[in-house]
Amino acid sequence: MVEFDTLAHCWSPDIQFLVKATDQVQRQRIIDLASKGLDNVRWIDGAHVEVGDVVLPAPGLSRADVVYRAGDIHHSLFLTNRCNSYCVMCSQPPTAHDDAWLQEEALDIVRHIEDSPNCIGLTGGEPLLLGTRLRDIIGLLQVVHPETRIEVLTNGRLFSNPQLADDMLVDLRAGIKWLVPLYGHADFLHDFVVQSPGAFEQTLDGLLTLQDYAQSIQLRIVLIKPVLEHLVQLCEFIGRNLPFVQEVALMSCEPIGFALANRALTEVDLLAWSETLRAASRILQRYRVHHLYMNAPLCALPQELWPYAHRSISDWKQVYKPACDGCVVKSRCAGLFAWHSKGWTPAAVRPFEETKNE
Amino acid sequence: MPIASVTGSDKDSHAILFYPRKRESQDLTLVGSLRAPSDHNLGATKLRKLSPDCVVAISPSGDHLFLTAEGAAELCAGGATDEMVRADRQSLFISASPFAGLGTKRLLKSRQLAKRSTVINGISLHILVPTLQCGHSCRYCQVSRTLDDEGHTMLETDLDSACDAIFLSPAPALTVEFQGGDPLLRFDLIVRAVQRIEQRNRIEQRDIRFVVASTLHQLDESMCDFFRAHRVYLSTSIDGPATLHNRNRPTPGRDAYERTVAGIALARALIGEDSVSALMTTTRASLAYPQEIVDEYVRLGFSEIFIRPLSSYGFAKRNQARMGYSVDQFMVFFNAALDRVLWWNRNGTSIREVYSSILFNKMLSTFDAGYVDLQSPTGAGASVLVYNYDGYVYPCDEARMLAEDGDVSLRLGSIAEVDATISAHPVVLELQRASMPDEIDGCARCAYHHFCGANPVDAHAQYGNMFAPVASTEHCQRHLRLFDSMYLRLRNASDAELDLFHTWARPASFESKPCAA
Repeated sequence: MVEFDTLAHCWSPDIQFLVKATDQVQRQRIIDLASKGLDNVRWIDGAHVEVGDVVLPAPGLSRADVVYRAGDIHHSLFLTNRCNSYCVMCSQPPTAHDDAWLQEEALDIVRHIEDSPNCIGLTGGEPLLLGTRLRDIIGLLQVVHPETRIEVLTNGRLFSNPQLADDMLVDLRAGIKWLVPLYGHADFLHDFVVQSPGAFEQTLDGLLTLQDYAQSIQLRIVLIKPVLEHLVQLCEFIGRNLPFVQEVALMSCEPIGFALANRALTEVDLLAWSETLRAASRILQRYRVHHLYMNAPLCALPQELWPYAHRSISDWKQVYKPACDGCVVKSRCAGLFAWHSKGWTPAAVRPFEETKNE
Repeated sequence: MPIASVTGSDKDSHAILFYPRKRESQDLTLVGSLRAPSDHNLGATKLRKLSPDCVVAISPSGDHLFLTAEGAAELCAGGATDEMVRADRQSLFISASPFAGLGTKRLLKSRQLAKRSTVINGISLHILVPTLQCGHSCRYCQVSRTLDDEGHTMLETDLDSACDAIFLSPAPALTVEFQGGDPLLRFDLIVRAVQRIEQRNRIEQRDIRFVVASTLHQLDESMCDFFRAHRVYLSTSIDGPATLHNRNRPTPGRDAYERTVAGIALARALIGEDSVSALMTTTRASLAYPQEIVDEYVRLGFSEIFIRPLSSYGFAKRNQARMGYSVDQFMVFFNAALDRVLWWNRNGTSIREVYSSILFNKMLSTFDAGYVDLQSPTGAGASVLVYNYDGYVYPCDEARMLAEDGDVSLRLGSIAEVDATISAHPVVLELQRASMPDEIDGCARCAYHHFCGANPVDAHAQYGNMFAPVASTEHCQRHLRLFDSMYLRLRNASDAELDLFHTWARPASFESKPCAA
């Protein structure tokens, strides 16, 4: 969506324009332009759409979904609902049907984003299932938004296919980070969490391939029970074997999707695992592997780990509890997933009060 | 972004389809050492008993696991173990997973490659010996000559050839170390060499580090100006408190200690706080003063101390009866000194012991710091070359000292004729053959063989034969004891000590070979 006054300046034939038209005069001007053959211009007015947003009209309905909000800090493109893993805590349970339209839509969104964001995430499902189409999307992003950092959330398993790895990675421009989950230091531990025999070997292979192509990697560890039980050994494994990763993200589980179905495995009181988290952080520091905690409110983490806490929950799904209002560290707290009310919080929410010493 | 959230559908029901497969144990069996089953050939894990109730298992990746005697027996017997024990062993490459695939194989290979990368990179340490003249007349020194002995100095033409030959090495990072004698006695030659190398490097663009190993007795302001301008580091010797140092390093004025300390102060003031490091040599006289020696280093403001044993050959070999000590005596001294270093660290003074750092680097770090004396095959002639005052090239520092004693069998030819084929010189190839860890009886079975390497020059000096039985060499006996001792320290370490050992283990600036000053 663009301002009425800027249309003449930014118009181009291959982009669809929605012009914010707040009065009858402006609307009539747009209708006139359209009737004279300018068929990529329409007007819109509404409270929930801002200049710079990308909007997807629902065909035949006077309704449109905002698929890209310029005002958000976190942006992501959802590329496929298909996946080759079946994680016990999956927040985005996979489906099997063909969803090529999602990639077409992603390409359209990329073309229509006006101001390049700092960073955009490519997510799924498993984006590597798209093969060279993923490379097309990355390529378009790098042409249209050369300054934007790209983060691809992938289990990395398909990089164990040398042809696919080469197609995806050869001569790839810098500025991409691959976010790859690792849930165990031995095959059967990881394979259980992702419910896929052989996945550990493939992901390891994929990580080494990413290293061969000098790619930047963030390892992701979701803090569910079967992972926490051997988190310290997993961090040792990473420190010794995968010191080339740029960072390790230790993430509290999103209480949604399969996580709700497997509550016995996924619901934990993080505070009760404080000793484990301390030990894990110590190991990673020992090996000088940069790490951060994501998706956990500060009250779920031991205070000495707060420097590693990251405000990571995407703004559109982040909330606080009423009790958080009085908390003195609220402004630097990751808060909670909006859907915590249907599931659980990473620990009992405890507001912190100003102490006299501070 | 509503499109990314799918809630409330039947997709939320997730049936766990896959549980870990239970298998009969695939743990390895002991045949002299642990051998991997042929169908999961991950190489061999080896065991070593450290104490009656502690065995260390070391895997092909160089990872270790401590076991009780019963645990070791159970591992050797391939007995059933619980899942978590199995996971830990797999992740350390101690035993193979029945499902190990390409990922694990590539990982192990990359780990082993990282350990060897410093050997593969080519000759990175180039030692120039401009002169053997020295103001000291140390009792254990192998080579040095008196101040008025001008016959033991390099010809300028040889020096120039040496500077050019350095660039024959493909290594991107080069260390050029001036040794002696005391190279400051021929400062003119240092200047000539540094300038010639820098000139050439304008085209070559290598990362070059200069080190001058010296008593610092001759150091003056103009030398400091030159060293600061050309980023030359100084390496000196401090054996301990003044009485010990002066006893080890006699000078006519009996003031070796005072003059070296004055040189250190001058260097720090004019070149920079970190411009000078020091090494100590352990003599029999040192054995009674481990704490005092460490305290001296702290007092002098050094952040590192290198507890070095005496060379067992050259002049020192002749004086073994008077100067020497057993490996056992050295170990007692070394451990007492290291305990003192750890005491200082616990009490807020950060000081690193370099020998343990080298060993911990081997034991704990993925990346090898490239310490020449523990490379396998040997770094002599492969990572190091010595350009000697006598106009000849030698594969390492010890080889040129042997030459002083009349044994020139390790000479690689004249400096003027050095070319790129030097790494294929028959002597270098022989040294390589004599230090292939997988092929030497003794080394191949040793639990520490990933971390260590036979020292054929040492064997040659001790027995006149570089293929002398490894286990009988001082090099082997000392390092077995050192690794044993370091593993026991790891096993008993507090969290804070483990943090410190890992910090020490990271590759740092100890790649430069200790001086002979």
